[in-house]
Amino acid sequence: MLFQAAIFGIRAVQTVLAVLAVLIIVVSTVADIVLRYGFGRPIHGAYEIVETMLVVFVFNGMSLVFLDRGHIVIDLVDHLVGGRARRGLLAFGDLASIAALLLMLWAMFDPAMQAFEYGDRKLELGLKVWVIWAFAIGGTIGGAVCAMAAAWVGQRRARA
Amino acid sequence: MSPPILGAAAVVVLFVLLFARVPVWAALVLVGFVGNMGLSGFDSAFALLGTTPFDTASIYALSVVPLFIIAGGVASTTGLSADLFKAARVLLSGMRGGLSVATIVASACFGAVCGSSIATAATMTRIALGEMRRADYADTVATGAIAAGGSLGILFPPSIILVLYAAISEQSVPKLFAAGLLPGIVLMLLYILVAVVMAYVRPQDSPMAPSASMGERVRALSKPWQFVSLFGVSIGGIYAGIFSPTEAASVSVAGAVLLGAIGRRLDFRQLRHTLIVGVRTSCSLFAIIMGANVFSSMMVQTQLPTLLADAARSLALPGLAVMALVILAYIVMGCFLEGIGMILITVPVFLPLVKSFGYDPIWFAIIVVIVVEVGLIHPPVGMNLFVIQAQAPDVKIGSIYRGILPFLLAPLVLIVLLLLFPGLALWLPGVLYGAS
Repeated sequence: MLFQAAIFGIRAVQTVLAVLAVLIIVVSTVADIVLRYGFGRPIHGAYEIVETMLVVFVFNGMSLVFLDRGHIVIDLVDHLVGGRARRGLLAFGDLASIAALLLMLWAMFDPAMQAFEYGDRKLELGLKVWVIWAFAIGGTIGGAVCAMAAAWVGQRRARA
Repeated sequence: MSPPILGAAAVVVLFVLLFARVPVWAALVLVGFVGNMGLSGFDSAFALLGTTPFDTASIYALSVVPLFIIAGGVASTTGLSADLFKAARVLLSGMRGGLSVATIVASACFGAVCGSSIATAATMTRIALGEMRRADYADTVATGAIAAGGSLGILFPPSIILVLYAAISEQSVPKLFAAGLLPGIVLMLLYILVAVVMAYVRPQDSPMAPSASMGERVRALSKPWQFVSLFGVSIGGIYAGIFSPTEAASVSVAGAVLLGAIGRRLDFRQLRHTLIVGVRTSCSLFAIIMGANVFSSMMVQTQLPTLLADAARSLALPGLAVMALVILAYIVMGCFLEGIGMILITVPVFLPLVKSFGYDPIWFAIIVVIVVEVGLIHPPVGMNLFVIQAQAPDVKIGSIYRGILPFLLAPLVLIVLLLLFPGLALWLPGVLYGAS
């Protein structure tokens, strides 16, 4: 029960982050257009706001996709194999998904640490790039937890 | 193992994994990573895997993907798309097959705001299917028109598929949007032609509705003004050079929400649901784009596309024959693969080949989108057909398959037209943005 609540909590927090990120993109872009054409004063760093928020959006929205099993799969084989084989393929797909995600997560630490050590900043906003990496890595960890939870629940349901 | 052979082996393994139900994004990441490792060592492959997802998620141009998906969702939730269908229905009353034509026209217009075929097919099924059944249209005709009309969503700007193509082929999104417009209109007209011919060949399947009065027609014209102004401002803004695609997409979202709120057609609960669906759909696409970028970086190193081009030259194949083979390959793959995954997997292989024969990458994008459209509507794995069946489970899939068959002729005719007259796709981007 506690486990379930924790998973749904992770998903809820990450979904809110993703939704907020996309809303910030919309509001900042529309405000930039109005200020640029109406007053000749565009928002400083509007382009980088979009880039930054897109990272927050993508990496945090992933947990929703993983938990809801929303990834695109080619399910042609479903009609050709029996229930047992289908369950096996489902487990294999989950395993491959988790492996890819963990591999990606592991690989992301190096460039994130480099951004932290070198103190890279966004040109216009002056925002430290490692902060954006932190959102990306945090989001990917949440995604990995949700992917494992979805795989576990999927297997339990299949057995039942 | 030589790089081209490794590339060919990677493609085979990728297809095996895809058919073994491995999610498309994961299959692309794993095959791309292992392939890169074989070509340039673990350290290099690992470094690439670490930066590619972050770099992909930072591409400004890709921000239009969630924005247009959300704009389409809001337009559908608030009933803006329903207004469009109602207006088309009244205007085309008294015409044989009028409801089929109204469905196709409304689908094209809705696709021009949401950029997604599946969203268009799902929305139009909700709006048009019941209406057509009440008017005694046969299920085959009704579902055929909805599936075909729905497929227009990916050709009309803002096409999500064209944005993804732009991201992996480094092409200009506005140019691609401009290139899709004329072929989109031609395809819509071809679908209309098919619908009208079907109505005359089997009149009992498409009964004629009583003709509306002039007053009713004028009143109907005023209905979809919100939708038309939303489209005019956002997409018109791109063509006029006022907005970037991201700005146009943001204006679309803000405009759709504002219109929905002012008209009391959108409450907080509906908005929240639309946003969550938008997050889910967009992020599943982003995962595939990340995987495709890892995969395509491997494909570039294998020089497989160069090898394919050399093979075509050694066989003395003319460019047209190569294009015909590429199109055929896409149509065959479209029987089994999902459209976006298919594009992201194949464009890194086929685009260099096609370019080496002198074809324009913008023109090729339109060809690719049309063959993906064919894949969306042709059995056995036509995604639009499944979307319709999922929403109308009482319609047999056999009826839907039979209904779509005549419409398949239209995109094939358009492909032939584009092969004969490339200007159909290249003229407008040339006029608006200059030669590429």
